[in-house]
Amino acid sequence: MNINVNPKERLMFNAFLIMFILHTAQTGVGIAGLPRVIYMEANRDAWISVVLAGILVSIVLYLMIKMLETYDSTDLYGIHLDVYGKWISKGFNILYIGYYLSVTYVILMNYIEMVQAWIFPKMPTWLLMGLLIFLMVYCVLGGIRVVVGIAFLGLILAFWLVFMIYTPIKYMDFNHLQPVLTSSPKQILMGIYKSSFTLIGFELVLFVYPYIKEKKKVLRYGLIGAGYSTFLFTVVTVVSIGFFSEDALLKTIWPVLSMFKILRIPNLERFEFIAVSFWMLVILPNICLYFWTASRGMKRVFNVSQKKAIYLFAVLLWILSLCVQDRITMNTITDKVGTSSFILSFVYPCFLFMLVKLKYIFKKKKGVDV
Amino acid sequence: MLNSVFRRREVKKDIENGSPHSFDIETFHKEILSLVSNSEDLIFRIITLGEQKLAVVYFDDLINTTAMQDSIIRPLEESKGDLNYQMIQDTINIAKLTQTNQINDVVNNIVNGTAYIFKQGDTHGILADVADKGTRGLEKAETESLVFGPKISFTESITKNLNLIRSNINDPKLCVETFMIGSRAKKKVQMVYIKDIAEEENVNTFRQRITEIEVDSIVDSTVLAQMIEDNSYTFFPQLITTELPDRCTISLLHGKICLLVDRSPTAVIGPSTFMNFFESTEDIYMRWNMGTFLRLVRFVAIFFSILLTPAYVAVLTYHYEVIPSALLVSLGQSRSNVPFPPFFEALLLEFIIELLREAGARLPTKVGQTMGIVGGIVIGQASVQAGFTSNILIIIIAISALGSFTAPSYAIGTAVRIIRFPIIIMAGLYGGVGIMFCLCFILIHLLKVTTLGRPYLSPIYPFRFADFKYSLFRLPYQYLVQRPLSNHPIDQGRIPEKKAKEKKDVDE
Repeated sequence: MNINVNPKERLMFNAFLIMFILHTAQTGVGIAGLPRVIYMEANRDAWISVVLAGILVSIVLYLMIKMLETYDSTDLYGIHLDVYGKWISKGFNILYIGYYLSVTYVILMNYIEMVQAWIFPKMPTWLLMGLLIFLMVYCVLGGIRVVVGIAFLGLILAFWLVFMIYTPIKYMDFNHLQPVLTSSPKQILMGIYKSSFTLIGFELVLFVYPYIKEKKKVLRYGLIGAGYSTFLFTVVTVVSIGFFSEDALLKTIWPVLSMFKILRIPNLERFEFIAVSFWMLVILPNICLYFWTASRGMKRVFNVSQKKAIYLFAVLLWILSLCVQDRITMNTITDKVGTSSFILSFVYPCFLFMLVKLKYIFKKKKGVDV
Repeated sequence: MLNSVFRRREVKKDIENGSPHSFDIETFHKEILSLVSNSEDLIFRIITLGEQKLAVVYFDDLINTTAMQDSIIRPLEESKGDLNYQMIQDTINIAKLTQTNQINDVVNNIVNGTAYIFKQGDTHGILADVADKGTRGLEKAETESLVFGPKISFTESITKNLNLIRSNINDPKLCVETFMIGSRAKKKVQMVYIKDIAEEENVNTFRQRITEIEVDSIVDSTVLAQMIEDNSYTFFPQLITTELPDRCTISLLHGKICLLVDRSPTAVIGPSTFMNFFESTEDIYMRWNMGTFLRLVRFVAIFFSILLTPAYVAVLTYHYEVIPSALLVSLGQSRSNVPFPPFFEALLLEFIIELLREAGARLPTKVGQTMGIVGGIVIGQASVQAGFTSNILIIIIAISALGSFTAPSYAIGTAVRIIRFPIIIMAGLYGGVGIMFCLCFILIHLLKVTTLGRPYLSPIYPFRFADFKYSLFRLPYQYLVQRPLSNHPIDQGRIPEKKAKEKKDVDE
């Protein structure tokens, strides 16, 4: 396995697409339930938690890109190989592959639960899982270009959903947000921790870095993408707190979808049916990006053909969906994955950054394969 | 035992290896007759001049009789002295002459309308091109009709088609490459491009694909297009077929490559992206605001054409809460008479529309108009009154059908009509989620299709904002300084930029 990855010319894409990749990787199924989760921790200052979490994301993103720039053109798997050597790096890489598979699983199950709660109560889980996995496999089989393309098109086609926030803003009450800064720092920190599971996705820059054409511009576009996500989440949180009363927000599991209920477009009454169906286009780039990362890891680390890895993981995910039947198990799994996501996406890359800098404290760039 | 029962007959293919024909006229006559299966329309005329015998061989139905008599037979009959093949070349009055002595050359050229003149005992003979293949005069375009712009269309003769293209583009850099494709019925295929605009790679890919075809015969240019395209399994076409010379002209000036096939009135233009199929020459001939409006109307029409019927099926079967209460009453009234679920109703009506369209295409013109009225109006009204379908569905189906016909290219209109069916089925099964699934599938599929190696969704996916003013909307000519980048043209500038954007002060 080589440290550096030099893909073919036709597989590489322009740097500005990083904006779309990072934003769609961060915005998935979590945004619908985000306001309630943080409100439970930080009360009225939940939006401050989100802003601070966004700043934290930008800092970690900056460290990651600086870490990547010490190498020619590598991804996280290559950095592990360089820092830890052959065998330990395999362990870390397997950890990341498993982590991304579980994130894909959690996103899929959460979306299916959303569909089952809002549109089709009796739809079997395995059926919708099968459909979504079919789409995901078809997309990832096309390679990185198709995955990035679906991220780009997914954002452009789903962008109009953002403007639907106009109606709740009309009914919003700013007094709900006041007085500001009444929560204790501990509550705000817990809010940041809880919002971490929603804000992950930005670490995918560690895996798509070799495929970008202009590597100098990655930082700029990455920060714009992550910044826009933070902005979107903050606006959603603020509007949710303003719109719902205190007790109502604690009881509404998906505040964003509940706010869609009040929309009235000519000729369409209950907009949430359309919104939840359309949400499929919002999560599709999400799951495709994570799944691509996991199957790419199998190819890089173990030299298994990526197609075989894709089929194997698809069948595995589908069988796993048959095992989990009730809400409580799903909740537990989501929480555990959320905890590990905080460690693996926020804490560990900073640690790795320090290791890399220590290793190359006097060297400039490493371009040699091990 | 099975082997002997189902053994294929081994057919020897002759004329494989070249060999000179016999120099004695009688033997030559027998050879030629055997090679053309003793066809009785082969004329073998012997002219005796003193002691020399000249043989003139041709197919009677393929040649221009006047040219034959005046320019070949008369000069030969009136010539004096000893003739050899060089003197024959100087005597007859035909413009295109070649010398040969290979028997397969002779036969291959005779079936294309040339005459072979051979003096007994000479080393070579002369092939004279007097072909007059059946063709029609220049006519108005039938399948693609326009309001503005030139209206002539291609015909079956490849020389006349190339004439039209060269008359439109009299750039000396217009390059024509000829291939003969097909092993049994050789067809002339010509690849046309402008050498310093079209990209080298595209030209090489085209050339390689055409020369690598191993096939018996190619019937039409559309068959050739199907053989060289990237992906045969998809519904979406990857090469535009057109019968308008000005469409070819505009594409050639943008850096695309044109293929002409003999005896076929359609030209093939490649590489064509998805957005190229929605561009019509009328957008270019009209002013930019009208052109933009027409393009946008087209996109909206196609979008509704795909989604309206499935949305009706999904909403009425699963999501009836979405309908506003005012519409709900009338919808309920019209649907109360219908015995079928919306899914079957929609499929039935879609099928009837497809029947009407298909039957209308095949009916002779005299009956066609009547059937159109009968089908459209009578069946629609009668089925509503019989309680077969609901009013609203008729309107929706009519709008979808009209929308799919706004696509300038018939191929993509058909593709749009066909993909509507799986979406209706998925909508009937899974409602809104089913429609979304199909849309995502089509999106991923379009991202994967490549046309001649180039991405299909250019300029949207490999995002080239500069090309939007050619594909999605039109801008005034000051802004069209460069050619579309998606074709990677070598010569990019069209209008000198300074001149296009001179700004003057007030009252200057």
